[in-house]
Amino acid sequence: MTSSACAAPLTVNELTEYWLNECAPDRELAIEEHLLGCRVCSGRLQDIVALADGVKNIVRRGGVGAIVTSTFVGRLKDAGVRVREYRLEPGGSVLCTIAPEDDLNVAYLAAPLEGVSRLDLVLHDPAADRSLRLEDIPFNPAAGGVVVAPEAAGLRRLGNATQRMQLIAVQASGESVLGSYTFIHSPYR
Amino acid sequence: MPPPIEPGTLDALEDAQLARRIIAAAPSIDEPAEAELCRRLAPRMRLYGLKHLRSAAAAADLVQDVLIMTLQRLRAGNIREPDHLVSFVLGTCRQVIIDQRRAQGRRERILATFAGDVPISEQPTSPPLDLERLQHCLTLLSERERTVVLMSFYDERQAADVGQEVGVSPANVRVIRHRSIERLRRCMEGVDSASGRQE
Repeated sequence: MTSSACAAPLTVNELTEYWLNECAPDRELAIEEHLLGCRVCSGRLQDIVALADGVKNIVRRGGVGAIVTSTFVGRLKDAGVRVREYRLEPGGSVLCTIAPEDDLNVAYLAAPLEGVSRLDLVLHDPAADRSLRLEDIPFNPAAGGVVVAPEAAGLRRLGNATQRMQLIAVQASGESVLGSYTFIHSPYR
Repeated sequence: MPPPIEPGTLDALEDAQLARRIIAAAPSIDEPAEAELCRRLAPRMRLYGLKHLRSAAAAADLVQDVLIMTLQRLRAGNIREPDHLVSFVLGTCRQVIIDQRRAQGRRERILATFAGDVPISEQPTSPPLDLERLQHCLTLLSERERTVVLMSFYDERQAADVGQEVGVSPANVRVIRHRSIERLRRCMEGVDSASGRQE
């Protein structure tokens, strides 16, 4: 195959599915034969691999806030990521911090999620009188709660502060607060 | 002997043509053709190795082993159909991985015999990713998109696994994943996702 053109380029979907081992064996073999002969498509796969590597790097140091799962946190810990964990029941509060040796913090927010079809998370900073509403966050109704992993650098910059989170079920009939959670943060001493 | 090389000639040749040059040069060694073939094949083999071994070091070992074997076979005229070079390389990659799992000592023996004889470069396969930019781009995704991207790529989880964890169907995970990758790609290229304008 020539070095600069591809007559039948693989799509990003195909390349991603290949990389994540989602292809049937016959299809995987055909893709591999194509990739070994094609600079264009192997270059595009390289872009996906670089993206995956970048994501891994950012996740390991808590570089981006996200809603995750307890299973995912378990895999991070298994891989040596140092995770500080807080568990809160609805209406609960916790004294919290982030230590220099922590890679990231996670908060387990327990809530009754059975029957909930859409869930929003509201972050409220009373001192600044500022709220941020994250709409339609991912959750598993069977999990009994959600796991929030804030960006670590943002927590490190935080002084003494009290922040609240609320989980809100959004239904056709209206909204209902499933739980409020208070974080009394202080810098690590 | 192969014909003299004009500047830029090798880059225009197909992989099979490079293979023919190497075969035709034997018992001499067509170093420019070998170097060009290695330069092309190494990053592709590395991806194959990363996919199957999930280790950069093991993938680098695979590249070295398979390039040595490929060049040795070409020099010996044992690849009769250069048009099928890719099939040979793929088959060799697969076999080397099987062999690696059977006998860890094989690589050392191959290297001890041939390593100094093959023009293998350790050139980076692509420019380093701008992690600060990627971090910014990840914050522009929706919560659902960001969760799917992190959980898919942190440790290569299939759509079915991610879907089970976050309570959506595998098909839906694939749709979200595809949309997210496209948004990240555009953001990394500096395209404003809302307007489509270059930032």
